[in-house]
Amino acid sequence: MSGLARQLAAILAGGAALLALALGVTDEPLLYFASLVLIWAIFAIGFDLVFGLTGLLSFGHAAFFGVGAYVQALLTLDMGWAFAPAFGAALLAGAGLAALFGMFAIRMSGVYLALTTLALAQLVNILVEVKLRGLTGGSDGLIGVPRPEAFGLDFYDSGIYLAFLAILFTIALAAAAILRRSPFGQVLQAIRQNEVRADQLGFDVRGSKIAVFAVSGLFAAAAGALMGGLTSFVGPDMTGWKVSGDVLIMTILGGRGTLLGPVLGVLAFELLRDVASAWTDHWYGILGIVFIAFTLFLPEGLMGGMRTLRRAWRTAGRGRPATGGDAP
Amino acid sequence: MLSTIVIGLSVAMLLFLLASGLTLIFGMLGVINFAHGALYMVGAFASWQVVAWTGSFWLALAAAPLLVAVIGLAMELLLKPLYARDHVFQLLLTFGGILVLEEAVRLVWGLDYKSVTAPPFLAGSVAIAGSEIATYRLFVIALGLAVAAALFLMIERTVLGMVLRAADSNAAMVRCLGIRVDRLRSFTFALGAALAALGGAVAAPLLPVQIGMGFSIIIDCFMVVIIGGLGNIRGAVAAAVLLGMVQAFGQRYVPDWIAVATYGVLILVLLLRPQGLFNLGRERSA
Repeated sequence: MSGLARQLAAILAGGAALLALALGVTDEPLLYFASLVLIWAIFAIGFDLVFGLTGLLSFGHAAFFGVGAYVQALLTLDMGWAFAPAFGAALLAGAGLAALFGMFAIRMSGVYLALTTLALAQLVNILVEVKLRGLTGGSDGLIGVPRPEAFGLDFYDSGIYLAFLAILFTIALAAAAILRRSPFGQVLQAIRQNEVRADQLGFDVRGSKIAVFAVSGLFAAAAGALMGGLTSFVGPDMTGWKVSGDVLIMTILGGRGTLLGPVLGVLAFELLRDVASAWTDHWYGILGIVFIAFTLFLPEGLMGGMRTLRRAWRTAGRGRPATGGDAP
Repeated sequence: MLSTIVIGLSVAMLLFLLASGLTLIFGMLGVINFAHGALYMVGAFASWQVVAWTGSFWLALAAAPLLVAVIGLAMELLLKPLYARDHVFQLLLTFGGILVLEEAVRLVWGLDYKSVTAPPFLAGSVAIAGSEIATYRLFVIALGLAVAAALFLMIERTVLGMVLRAADSNAAMVRCLGIRVDRLRSFTFALGAALAALGGAVAAPLLPVQIGMGFSIIIDCFMVVIIGGLGNIRGAVAAAVLLGMVQAFGQRYVPDWIAVATYGVLILVLLLRPQGLFNLGRERSA
């Protein structure tokens, strides 16, 4: 089996396990926790396509997340659209907006791009919170965002909704795995490693940057729309800089530039939130300290840390008999 | 009209106090300090605390920068291992700094906002050419100009400033000449942090002291620093005056569109002249 086929098989197996979890567990807090993790994971997987794979730091991904959420909410609540077409429109809106952001990435990189995407996202935030108040409900947000209705299933059952999320998450993860190994993904990696050389080799650097932003925005918008369904609420905070910061933190914690890193990061982030917020209101400060420690000592995140450990294990193991243990 | 100009100038000087620290740190260390707004916030809260304890605004004006300079030293200590790495990691570290500082402020001072009253002889207003001008705003302008002059003299006329400029253009050479560049960097970061806190202490009687006050102003400061040209003090003065005026007149005539205009201009400048409007012939990459 080729590497990709093996990877996809593993992803499918993981998806099936998630599905079993969703349908087998009845503990409400656990179901909610898992739903939150899967939605953020879809977001982080998409974010890492721009940040980890292509090496562009965006500080404005909240805009795509929020626009996805609002388009979904507005089309279903005000226009009476069904879930599926509204979801499609939300994805398109997120991808379109992200492509627009991507056009800025052609002209700048690094810190300048981070500032520009932040400013663009803040513009979207003002638009949503103040300028389009009549449409978006301003700082009150929109309440009662519906979940899908299909196949006679009750999506308001937490387990069913989690199963639905598990299927979408599996699709997203598989899509990211295919994209990373595709020729397009190779070009993106080439851009990260040496943009000038990639350009000189004749690859379409500009087009690729815009395209990867669009794909990334699609993932973000999907996550936003699904979040609206989970909490039945969308608000202007979903387009705020804290959301952009959170997805960045998650990706760094797990390990940028790897397929599973962002997923692992989301899990670590949400676990930390769950555990730390139980004994202190100031868990965000603890998160900040953890984040600083990772930036300093584990820039490759948990994935990188595990790689180092595995390598150390192997090196240590070489001195001993292959069966392991201390016996001579 | 005149009062709008005075308001514009006082906003400009406040922005300059913050932006000068930001641009100094960038010029010397090549670091964009995302947490600069958070340092400003800590400065404002610290000054409120000193006023609450001692009743002296002047003591607060001196103590807040000192406290925040120490925080700056600690941050620079953490940044040290990252100078050799990608700029993005420095940005990430200072972003982590925001989370920690905001939470620390919440822990110490709580969620509700505080207000500081200016000392009595700055509290009133004076009549100039038929307009009532708040005395405190005149004080802010005077202080801003004094700091600008002091910074300018330090950088252009003193040995310390010469070494700073030299280390900016070629750190390795300066190190070879027997100057401890890493100490110079610590000093610069502490000075920049102190300037942010001074801005916070000066702003405390003008604005409500609250969590999140750092973020709303930091975007304006990035704008000043970028329009002025990263690392350029003179450009920062000009850009601060420009932005202060735009904000004061905008507040008077089209208050609904200020934020939109601010972000719009920032995006345009980043797109068209990322090296700043006032940096002629001196380009640097970040």
